[in-house]
Amino acid sequence: MIWSLSWKNIWRNKKRSFIVISAVTLGVVAGVFTAGLMKGWVDQRVEAAIYTEVSHIKIRNQDYLLNEEIKYTIPDQEKVVAELKNNPDVVAFSNRLKLTAMAASSRGNTALMLVGIDLNDEKKVSNVFEKMVPNAGTFFETDMGNPVVISDRTAEALRIKSYELSAEVLDSLAQSDIPKSVISKLEPIAGKKFITEKLFKKGLNTVLSKSEINKYGGAIRSAATHYRLRSKIVFTFTGTDGEMRYQTLKVCGIYKTTNAMFDQMNAFVLKNDIAPVAGFTSGENHEIGVILKEDVNARHFRDEMKGKFSGLNVMSWQDLAPDASMSSEYMNIYYYIIMGFILFALAFGIINTMLMAILERTKELGMLMAIGMNKKRVFRMIMLETIFLTMVGAIVGMILGYFVILITSHTGLDFSSVGEGFEAMGWSAMVYPEIELQFFIGVTILVIITGILSSIIPARKALSLKPIEAIRTE
Amino acid sequence: MKVIEIKNLTKIYNGSSVQVTAVDNVDLVIEEGEFTAIVGPSGSGKTTLLNMIGGLDSPTSGEIVVGNTNLATLNSKQLVDFRLHNIGFVFQAYNLIPVLTAGENISFIMEMQGKPKKMIAERTIEILKEVGLADREKSRPNQLSGGQQQRVAVARALASKPKFIIADEPTANLDTKSTENLLDIMEELNRRENITFIFSTHDQRVVNKARRIIVLEDGKIVKDEQKNV
Repeated sequence: MIWSLSWKNIWRNKKRSFIVISAVTLGVVAGVFTAGLMKGWVDQRVEAAIYTEVSHIKIRNQDYLLNEEIKYTIPDQEKVVAELKNNPDVVAFSNRLKLTAMAASSRGNTALMLVGIDLNDEKKVSNVFEKMVPNAGTFFETDMGNPVVISDRTAEALRIKSYELSAEVLDSLAQSDIPKSVISKLEPIAGKKFITEKLFKKGLNTVLSKSEINKYGGAIRSAATHYRLRSKIVFTFTGTDGEMRYQTLKVCGIYKTTNAMFDQMNAFVLKNDIAPVAGFTSGENHEIGVILKEDVNARHFRDEMKGKFSGLNVMSWQDLAPDASMSSEYMNIYYYIIMGFILFALAFGIINTMLMAILERTKELGMLMAIGMNKKRVFRMIMLETIFLTMVGAIVGMILGYFVILITSHTGLDFSSVGEGFEAMGWSAMVYPEIELQFFIGVTILVIITGILSSIIPARKALSLKPIEAIRTE
Repeated sequence: MKVIEIKNLTKIYNGSSVQVTAVDNVDLVIEEGEFTAIVGPSGSGKTTLLNMIGGLDSPTSGEIVVGNTNLATLNSKQLVDFRLHNIGFVFQAYNLIPVLTAGENISFIMEMQGKPKKMIAERTIEILKEVGLADREKSRPNQLSGGQQQRVAVARALASKPKFIIADEPTANLDTKSTENLLDIMEELNRRENITFIFSTHDQRVVNKARRIIVLEDGKIVKDEQKNV
């Protein structure tokens, strides 16, 4: 009956309990949501690091790391490839040629890494082909000769990207959620061509208010973006003989990942289009990207490969993307630190409420002790009351938090207003929160611990009562 | 058979400047089945004496033996346990647990004693019948009148099958009808089940029902009268 009595006790003063429960609920919702947001963010980063940027494993010539020279191709490549083919832990791998190059269009130039790929292999290892900007070409699905896929950033640097509010664009905007009043304000800059994003933003500033730009600027900018596909880009790089080589490639598609640095650095070309120009004739490669089965430990695989091929540099995704790795490894600790801080703050409110409850029930506690309730039972009753009070708020908070995450995991949370900073570090500006059941179990344990710890002061207060004095209390 | 034996019992309260002797060298024996009222003016030491008999307060000197147990030999933990199994309490302000029903208020004490659930359920109904509240088992204290609440308190005191019941001013908050009703019930329990009752009271109606009247003045027993019934 102690359990039942404790449960009933928390509903004696409904208003007061409701306030504490609400505070716990809000705290837990905040904690669950923050944890979900962090997990979503970190998972997206890890996903991007592995499947877009570095694969689970990267194999390179040891010297290539020190000096990215064209001559440092993978030694004993046939043996390495044979090993990867026969290894049951390997899902896919892709051989790549990597050339440090200068890309130049008629209007701009930029330095980048020209990555020569085998299309089919690369698609099994990297998901860059899924990151193509809508209506901005394809990932080598073209009949065009010498195609190249560049990033949105590279397109901007090469000035083959521009912004124009053509009649067609304005029509498409009219079909969207953007109010007509906003679209009509765009008339003064309609038909004008802006060659950089900065200039386009400046143009928008002259016709729209700040709040309109914040609300609709992204959609307008994205609709107005125009890429000059099929533009010819001249790539200059050093050949295997040390001489400068040139290759003219045509832009067949534009990609955009969540990592601005990756985008800025990488342009993709079919290996067959670039290898002979660079002077490779025997299928040499600079890098092999490997995707492993989900349950395989990349670090163990790395060490195994290192043991088998001493001349190779083998790195796991944890080595190559330490930010993602560290975030992923310490994520659980972050969750519980956040939740711990929230519950620690809430504990003061809980203690205060319980102390008030003890004060109000002094006479009753005196009676209970007089008729034979021992200290252990009194302590247990107060402790259970505190745990129940905290748990009710926590359960409601966890349910609400779960639903908030469920909704936002579909809609996503757009941090693009501050996204440039995140994307520069490889973190997506669009976050899809997610949460695991394990976290809720952890929160439940934390809440119970909070309840137990918060009950100590009120319980000690109750135990310090002398029945004979407590009974006389009015 | 002796239920309580008190020898040279004294209780002195040390105030900031004065010492107050609340109970002064009292000797007293309560036999099983007594229906005893302790009376006296305010400050005469009635409540202090009852608190010491009930193990809620410790004497300055002297000893209280309940059955074969000298209360002075028990530590605080043992004393709580002793009260749970040997003494029933009825308070002036009923002191029921407001969130529990009448039945739960009664069964709660038996659960603390660790009695089996089936036995608790049966005894709760049986006691409620004895105090005339069989139909109010599911009622909360705030749904009962003062008299009914005090009857539940008597039932709660009975539930643990104590050696004796201490009732401190049990009728002080009751109207005439409720007082008579309560006294009749307690008298009936005393006669039928030989339960020992010790009251402290100012109420003449209680004194009239009591078969032994102990008068305290300034902490001393000045009169100890047995009525012939």
